[in-house]
Amino acid sequence: MDRLIARTVRQNVPLSVHFDLTYRCNERCVHCYLDHEDHGELLTSECLEILEQLASSGALFLTLSGGEIFLRKDLEEILACARRLHFDVSLKTNALLLTHARAEKLARLGVRRVQVSVYSSDPAVHDAVTKVPGSLARTLAAIPFLLEQGINVKLACPLMKENLLAYRGVMALAEGLGVAYVLDMTITPMMDGSQGPILHRVGAEALLPVLQDAALQGCHPPAKKEEDLPALLGSATSSGMESDAYDDLPCSAGHNSCYISPYGDVYACVQLPIPAGNLRRRRFDEIWRGSSALKQVRAMRESELPVCSRCDIRKYCERCPGLAWMEGGDLLGAYERACELAEQKARLAGVARPQSAWHAQCAANETKNSSAKGRVYDSMEMTNEGTRHD
Amino acid sequence: MNSAPNGVWQKNPALAWREIDDETIIISPTESVMHELNDTGSFVWKKIDGRRTAADLAALLAENYEVTREVALADTTALLAELASRKLVVAADGEAH
Repeated sequence: MDRLIARTVRQNVPLSVHFDLTYRCNERCVHCYLDHEDHGELLTSECLEILEQLASSGALFLTLSGGEIFLRKDLEEILACARRLHFDVSLKTNALLLTHARAEKLARLGVRRVQVSVYSSDPAVHDAVTKVPGSLARTLAAIPFLLEQGINVKLACPLMKENLLAYRGVMALAEGLGVAYVLDMTITPMMDGSQGPILHRVGAEALLPVLQDAALQGCHPPAKKEEDLPALLGSATSSGMESDAYDDLPCSAGHNSCYISPYGDVYACVQLPIPAGNLRRRRFDEIWRGSSALKQVRAMRESELPVCSRCDIRKYCERCPGLAWMEGGDLLGAYERACELAEQKARLAGVARPQSAWHAQCAANETKNSSAKGRVYDSMEMTNEGTRHD
Repeated sequence: MNSAPNGVWQKNPALAWREIDDETIIISPTESVMHELNDTGSFVWKKIDGRRTAADLAALLAENYEVTREVALADTTALLAELASRKLVVAADGEAH
């Protein structure tokens, strides 16, 4: 896989595409970053045409998601097209609308993997997140339908204030079902930039019990290096193509993976919503090759980040350029959340008094400003003294 | 598994695959295993259509890659045997070859 990733990065082949078919949803999760109103979703014909263009461009791994994808009445038709075009298809769903018959169809249409959102094994906690009474029971009831069809299932559990203590229950659920799971600490702003979901984010210090949890160590697959974070803490929105082959690049976004919205907007990543172009106006290949936004993303190098490249605790940081842009306002900059988490992880790894380069810079600037204030005050005093007339 | 020259093969319809440059990436859905074919393997893969026999595929390979028909047939039958053992191709007529 590393060789494939290296090759597709070098040639900018869009190997992995995350395509949200709708932002409509039958849940109203408190942490969700999407606007659930339909502002004019792509038509069936448009979706099918996009799939043709993606296949021609070399896309192989296709993740279809939402909102809730089963709200698309044309989902089967879209999956049939994906099958005909030989995509490797994964779905993300809350599974509320998944029946035995639908699971059979998914298997027949070649869906290889389904990621299901579960926030807790406690119905009260899960349903409080989704705002749908009975949602956990319905979600869990649907999972065996997928397993019976031989479809790989993965539980995705974003961690937030509402469910932080419940993650062990989700792990137990997954282990009981014999399925994989990912715990995701990332709660992002809305795609339009508004910060509402951030209210539900767990502070870095409160995440310590999770980061320290021995049950998340020694996981499968095992972490490559001792200082690696537990591999079961990851990203529920990841392209799934983590690899050393990215070398000096921050991630796959814009290099060999991208995101498409239900309105045909192309972005480097769902977490990096700088529009690169719209598929209702231009072909995918034109956007992928010619977009200045994507070229800007592709130009980023970890070693050239103005502040982060000189950070002593960089190896503990999971900086995301998208979050740097959404939260810090600067694609190349640092942002508070990343620094907080890196410092926590460095502390856990035994680093004495870890401080990110950005925090150090902020502290130095504060000291400089305080000193400058003092000097102004002194000079004012001197001036006052000088102007005092006895 | 012995791939007879007159056996007809088709790609396993359950597979995901994509040609990227001169190589082909194939994903087995049940095992979630990735297979890679080099340029000659990709050439043969593209030509497998449920109608061509192993001998037909070998003839095409010989035409396009400047190898003798004997070498092409040996390479093609070996490749088909390997693909079949990995369930990436299946007999088009339902018979074992």
